[in-house]
Amino acid sequence: MSLADQLAAYLTRTSGEPTRVEGLSRISGGASRETYRYDAVTDQGRGGYILRRDPPGSLIETDRRAEFLAIRSFAGKDVAAPEAVVLEEQGAELERPFFIMRRVDGGVPASPFAPDPFAARAGAIGDQFFSIMGRIVAEPLTGLPILEALSPPAPEDCWRRELDYWAGVIEADEQHPQPIVRAAIRRLRHRPPPPAARVSVIHGDFRVGNFLHDGAGRILAVLDWEMAHLGDPLEDLAWAMDPLWSNPADPRISGMVGLDEALAIWARASGVEPDLAALDWWRLFASVKGQAIWISAAKEWRDGGFAEPILAFSGWFTARRQDEILAARLAAMGPL
Amino acid sequence: MTPALPDILIGQAAALATPLPPEAQGEYLAGRVGIMAMLCGLAAQEADRGPAARIWENRAVAELIAKATGAPIELGEDTTWRGLDAENARLRRGLIELHEAAETRGDAALQMEILQLYVEMAAARRLTLGG
Repeated sequence: MSLADQLAAYLTRTSGEPTRVEGLSRISGGASRETYRYDAVTDQGRGGYILRRDPPGSLIETDRRAEFLAIRSFAGKDVAAPEAVVLEEQGAELERPFFIMRRVDGGVPASPFAPDPFAARAGAIGDQFFSIMGRIVAEPLTGLPILEALSPPAPEDCWRRELDYWAGVIEADEQHPQPIVRAAIRRLRHRPPPPAARVSVIHGDFRVGNFLHDGAGRILAVLDWEMAHLGDPLEDLAWAMDPLWSNPADPRISGMVGLDEALAIWARASGVEPDLAALDWWRLFASVKGQAIWISAAKEWRDGGFAEPILAFSGWFTARRQDEILAARLAAMGPL
Repeated sequence: MTPALPDILIGQAAALATPLPPEAQGEYLAGRVGIMAMLCGLAAQEADRGPAARIWENRAVAELIAKATGAPIELGEDTTWRGLDAENARLRRGLIELHEAAETRGDAALQMEILQLYVEMAAARRLTLGG
């Protein structure tokens, strides 16, 4: 039975009305989940959806329930989250866990490796990008669905929890000694940041390439919530600022706006005045987290029988670029 | 750094030989082919510069460790990818230990020397999209 047939059987059973699946097509990218677009057709009409299914192996080990509930936490709020429809943790007819979202049509993602991804719309996109990030931070945790899956850390524990997790990933998945990222981890432990100004929802992968825009300066959807968690608001900000996502010859963040403007937009939207020393800690952490992901990708690629070329790209080209970023930052910081 | 060039080429062959289901023949296949094309371009750079970068790094790390510890390090003569990487792994483990020791005793000069070497090591292995 094809995946389209399996999905149609699932939709027919759960909705109680005969449902056809048309135009099922896998979407490239999204190495952590298999992602498909499709139309569901019933006597009532047609709707566009996205299916996110766990792969046999994935780029990052993430909690699909937390991802689903994070998206649901922002339903109807002004952060361009898609509408989360259903989560099946046991896989049902599709054999592997999955969830379904409503599809957002008419948008395109930008490549982090494009020289000028937004051209004349850069300012408008940057304003929305950092405003949305700030509004996610500003959202009070009380009552959010994501709390069904995750517990908030104490403000003073946010950094340690994240660093322990990603250092552990490197420890587990490293297949060749990595002195640069290990030096960065030691530095982060030696000079921790102050407690988080507040504990908020962290998207976890908020960057260029993970949102859809309409080509006319409007962000339509923020995607890829698979690393969503609760933590220090500076974490998302620092991740978006990692030089990996920017053209090295362009001083703007991801070809959008400059650092000062980004911080001002984010501060207005979040209500948090960023502590620049703490932000420096989180920026070094962002590069460590990135390298952990790329190290994991290389291992996953080999363990998975070399099936997904995107994992080779991440574990090779991206890992080397991340090492350059880390080495430059460590040298600029000087000895411990 | 992993993966090494032979892994990349084996992976390309495996990916090309893997049949895809009908639902993965459109946009996904186009994206996959695009990534494989980029990997081919990167592989050409690595075939050209990879051995020299490894030989240089191994020598530079060995010299720094020898200078800092006073114990000379003999380098092997195996210049296959596997041989160079095995030696590199051994030397990098030594470099990590040396850096940790320098931090513990507050040897700022040696720390800076190691940090500068990291910059050069990363630059020597640089891959360029479209390059």
